[in-house]
Amino acid sequence: MKMAQKLLEISDLRTYFFTEAGVVKAVDGVSVDVDNGETIGLVGESGSGKSVTAQSALRIVPKPGKIVGGSIKFEGQDLLVKTEEDMRKLRGPKMAVVFQDPTTSLNPVYTVGKQLTDIISLHRNLTKGEAQKSALRILERVGIPEPEKRLKAYPHELSGGMKQRVAIARALSCEPKLLFADEPTTNLDVTIQAQVLDLLKQLQKELGMTMVMITHDMGIIADMARRVTVLYAGKVMEVADTVTLFTVPKHPYTEALLKAVPSVAQTQSLDVIPGNIPNLIEPPSGCVFHPRCKYAKEICMKEVPPIEKVSEGHYVACHRSRELKLEGKGS
Amino acid sequence: MYEGVAGEAPSLKHPFGVEDSGIDVFSEVIHGTRNDMYVGLVASLLTTIVGISIGAVGGYFKGLISDLVLGITQIFYVIPVLLLILLFARVFSILVFKGLGLTLIVLILAFFGWSGISFVVRGETLRVREMEFVQAARSLGAGSRRLLFRHIIPNILSPLIVLSTLNIAGFILTEVVVSFLGFGDANTSTWGLILNEGFPSVRTEWWVSLFPGLAVVFCVLGFNLMGDGLSDALNPRLRE
Repeated sequence: MKMAQKLLEISDLRTYFFTEAGVVKAVDGVSVDVDNGETIGLVGESGSGKSVTAQSALRIVPKPGKIVGGSIKFEGQDLLVKTEEDMRKLRGPKMAVVFQDPTTSLNPVYTVGKQLTDIISLHRNLTKGEAQKSALRILERVGIPEPEKRLKAYPHELSGGMKQRVAIARALSCEPKLLFADEPTTNLDVTIQAQVLDLLKQLQKELGMTMVMITHDMGIIADMARRVTVLYAGKVMEVADTVTLFTVPKHPYTEALLKAVPSVAQTQSLDVIPGNIPNLIEPPSGCVFHPRCKYAKEICMKEVPPIEKVSEGHYVACHRSRELKLEGKGS
Repeated sequence: MYEGVAGEAPSLKHPFGVEDSGIDVFSEVIHGTRNDMYVGLVASLLTTIVGISIGAVGGYFKGLISDLVLGITQIFYVIPVLLLILLFARVFSILVFKGLGLTLIVLILAFFGWSGISFVVRGETLRVREMEFVQAARSLGAGSRRLLFRHIIPNILSPLIVLSTLNIAGFILTEVVVSFLGFGDANTSTWGLILNEGFPSVRTEWWVSLFPGLAVVFCVLGFNLMGDGLSDALNPRLRE
């Protein structure tokens, strides 16, 4: 196996939100590596810290959030020591984000064309006509019919799927090396979801782009990602390649996530994970997952489980990972 | 100015009648229109510029700046503006800016009148800055200035334009009050000044008060309707 250069290396990242109610440890010691050209998945429930991890990588964590520890390296450069000015030049041409809800992520007062040319001319020295042409090409690329007409359309005149295509076009308008797709299909119809995922896959291949797929949907992970990092309450639970994670999960949380995916052949009712994601101001002692874990023992309440290597590329943070026989998905 | 027989009632020749001083009321109302429009439009323009700048800064930046801006805005919002305007108008017109005339009134009105706009801008900026498209623009390399001027402010323009249009009417009304009370510029003909001159003889020479009064009413109504119309016209959802 050839060692690809690491495009993004996040290690021991800590991003806290200093709210009036207390310090919310949204991301608390997360490490993620992304190789050039691959797609990795970040999975977890709402509030598990997956979006904040992406925001941290771009250094766009909204206040009162702050990166308080760890390191983020992009193409070998430390992003945490860069000035805001330098970061701005990276956002767009190097890294970009596709957000969850295209109805809110597109600016309602500008036409599609204006939103695209705005970003293009921000990063490249182009004349108005050239920027317009470039916008047209990218719209064609994301499969929007009649792109000339759509350039003049306002976001509210487009359907949800079209809007998300425009949002993807905007994110890709400066050909970023790394794309964070932050639940890009959660707010779309199921049929449109498949189209958008296919589009992302195809674009990734064509542009040689690296992608971080952020989702709570294990189905999307199975479809898109080569490797997966499972997050819970701001901490990494398990890291594995997708096949391993699905067949031999080592963390009870991963097992629970897999069981929560409905399948056609299913006869019994869907397993849900009891309880909610914990309060991140005062997270549970020991393993953060123990209050919801059906395998929890005394040690889980007392000690934070260290991340341990199970096999090559497979890591897990669970005291009982050796003894437990967890159930994966058959396929 | 066009003149006629002093105290003449409205006729075809003098549709709004004639004042005691012999000046035709119609021609005076027309002169007043120009001057009152100047007061309303310029004062509203100035307060809009000042209000947007102060409100946007207060809404966009968090922490000390925001608190400071909010405090200053609140002070300007609660002080009894009319009394201070009268005071400033009298003191400044005598002491400092003798030659400024109506412009002095405009500046005083603007100085005391920006807080309403600023409040709206601050609130709307606070709301819009958290919206996903602002975050999206930031994630694609837009800096603070760009976010504020290209993404936030254009999204709050509709309520602002409506408010600024209503403010035109408000400033004209205030100017009418100031002039009516005799604190305005006595050398510039405004609707308030005509009302002031007509007031002592309102029972006998009613036309001197009625017509400038109607001018004020229609003007204020007009700007209110215009505000409504603009708010519809500027809404991209209603644009076809």
